[in-house]
Amino acid sequence: MKKLGLLLVILSGALLLYATVDFPLWGDPSSPASLHVSPRYIEKTMEETSVPNIVTAVLADYRGFDTMFETTVIFGAGVVCFLLLRVLGGEEGDHYYRHLPTGVTIHVKGAKGKSLSGEFERIDMLWTPYDLVIKTACRIMIPFIQIYALYVIAHGHHSPGGGFQGGVILGASVILLAISQNLRTALRRIGEKTVGILCAIGVFIYAGTGALCLALGRNFLDYAALASVLGTDPVTARSHGILIVETGVGIAVMATMIWIYNNVSSAGRYDEGL
Amino acid sequence: MSHHFPALLVIAPLLSAFFISGAGWLNRRFCLPLAVASLGVAGLSALSLFWRVVQQGPVLYRLGGWDPPWGIAYAVDFLNAPVLVLICIVALLNLWASHRQVEEQFKEKTGAFYTLYVLMVTGLLGITVTGDAFNLYVLLEIASLSGYGLIAMGEDRAPLATLNYVYMGTIGACFYLLGIGYLYIVTGSLNMADIARILPGLYENKAVLTALIICLVGLWLKMAFFPLHVWLPNAYTFAPVPSAALIAPLMTKVMVYVMIRLMLTVFTPGYVFSTLGINDAVVWFAVIAIVMGAILALGQRDLKKMISYIIVAEVGYMVGGAWLGNRAGMTGAILHIINDALMTLCLFLAVAAITYRMKSYTFSSLKGLIRKMPFTMGAFILGGLSIIGVPPTCGFFSKWYLITGALQAGHYGFMAALLFSSLVNVVLFFRIIEIGFFEPFNEGHGHGEHGPEPMNEAPLSILVPLWIVALGLVVVGVYTSEIITHVLQFAIPKAIL
Repeated sequence: MKKLGLLLVILSGALLLYATVDFPLWGDPSSPASLHVSPRYIEKTMEETSVPNIVTAVLADYRGFDTMFETTVIFGAGVVCFLLLRVLGGEEGDHYYRHLPTGVTIHVKGAKGKSLSGEFERIDMLWTPYDLVIKTACRIMIPFIQIYALYVIAHGHHSPGGGFQGGVILGASVILLAISQNLRTALRRIGEKTVGILCAIGVFIYAGTGALCLALGRNFLDYAALASVLGTDPVTARSHGILIVETGVGIAVMATMIWIYNNVSSAGRYDEGL
Repeated sequence: MSHHFPALLVIAPLLSAFFISGAGWLNRRFCLPLAVASLGVAGLSALSLFWRVVQQGPVLYRLGGWDPPWGIAYAVDFLNAPVLVLICIVALLNLWASHRQVEEQFKEKTGAFYTLYVLMVTGLLGITVTGDAFNLYVLLEIASLSGYGLIAMGEDRAPLATLNYVYMGTIGACFYLLGIGYLYIVTGSLNMADIARILPGLYENKAVLTALIICLVGLWLKMAFFPLHVWLPNAYTFAPVPSAALIAPLMTKVMVYVMIRLMLTVFTPGYVFSTLGINDAVVWFAVIAIVMGAILALGQRDLKKMISYIIVAEVGYMVGGAWLGNRAGMTGAILHIINDALMTLCLFLAVAAITYRMKSYTFSSLKGLIRKMPFTMGAFILGGLSIIGVPPTCGFFSKWYLITGALQAGHYGFMAALLFSSLVNVVLFFRIIEIGFFEPFNEGHGHGEHGPEPMNEAPLSILVPLWIVALGLVVVGVYTSEIITHVLQFAIPKAIL
């Protein structure tokens, strides 16, 4: 079986190499890929969409329909993780608490429903040391990470960036909070329901913008239709439309990152977990 | 508004997926009505598109208002219009039949289940309607991903079976993407019609040949063409019945549609059949698929696995028919996409009814079932007759075209395989009738004779859709010639004789 596998791999590799014989030369300016559709993107993007970054314009406008579904894939991944991993109901078992003034750790059996006074702090079963340095450093870093994420989303028009990258950074900031403190702290800031709904809202902003264009009489995702709503000319409306959908992408990606992290790290129990 | 139907077809279920997901958190009662409404809108759009295609010819829709090949275009023609209608009907009927089980089985997660259900239908509709080769891949991802989620929620072994499916399915999708990448390198375009326009000058190009081979292998993996079928039986058997009854009729059939779409409108029949001359080899692969699928089906001891292997054999029918390279074979293959989807749905809904009452789908639980659940078993037998190919059910007609095609092409091996598989199907279904009719129901109380087992049918919410499909098999069969003269014959290019 192993030899058969090796043989198949070698054959497929040989097939792929065989195809390269008739490839255009590396970096050839007269290759079909750079002659057929690309010239219009390169020459007309600014004029047609008023977006300086061609990649953004192709991604979110010319082929914006693909990107909408790519965002939906992310949304779907979040839903699948929830469906498969989440264990609903029953937070049974033992809990550990740390007495803050003394640093003594106590073990409470069958702790469901019991809460201890403010001097105690719930800690994970896998022993986590009290670490002032990590907590403080992360607390200082997180707001800056988030501001940077917003910059990346908003600046996608001019430089590399956009909704996907910005959303990942935003999501990472919340995950950093969960790692530096614990999952429960992060969940208090942004709960499961909020994340689930944000995830749907994010993609809905994208698809809803498209549907709005349709309702305003143009084709689906034809942002020029937004001109009357935004009070601009159709070309600028395209640029604004891209910003709107990028924001949606950012929200969806952020929420999905957090959602998947919560489900995977706590094995669906939303109780403990790094 | 009618101008926007191609977009509405896909957006209505897509938007509803977000609402259902939200409703799953806020108020679960709204999930099902939202799903039904959105699939209804999609179904109406599909029907009216179908009607417009029949009346006025193909429809083109430019998404984002950009002309192809710069933007993405949806193209509805005679080939995909019937498939679109089929997808909507299967999804709606299955939703009707399975909503009770979904709510019992998934409880708090009902919202997530319906979200994925609707997303899966969105993906399948998008794959079918799109005229853009890369857009097809993106939607393939959506359909596959939601499919994995739906399957993995099944019995104990479902996660492992799904993992297998994820590996194989991802490789298949990657191969398709790689093939499209190769086509892009040599043509510079992603739009199907545009690629087809550029390709004739490149028939000698080795990259085009490689692209075709890679795309085909990827699609064969996704459609479970023997010997690339290994993921299918376990995935469909251990999946929850509501998911299996959606995925089994549609996923493989839509992949067959994609293969035919690539053959007819991207690579064009001239290249696929004349320049390459690989059709004979592919048909022989199909022969092996049919024979092996039939033999493996014989060895199974439970209903779902048996049907899964029948699907493997049926995929062989369609691939073989499409690659015969003549009109009759291609007509048979396209017709069989529709027929096989309906037959599979019929069988799986019957299995759903049986599992609902008996909590099991092994052969031993079928004892005495014809007296206990006569309506369910009646529909099951009707589905079985269609799979065997008894007139006037639709299975007979597609098989008739396939055999005609085989005779015209002089491919007697394929004809023999079709007849062999029909004979095996006779054995398979009569064995079930025998168990269901002659063997006594074995859950007696152990004291004395009870007389005939009392009737204990499945609820009407399963029986009604089941019988709609079962009668649909006959209706489609009776109207086969209309379907072919008004729709399918225009789907096949004149180059194919």
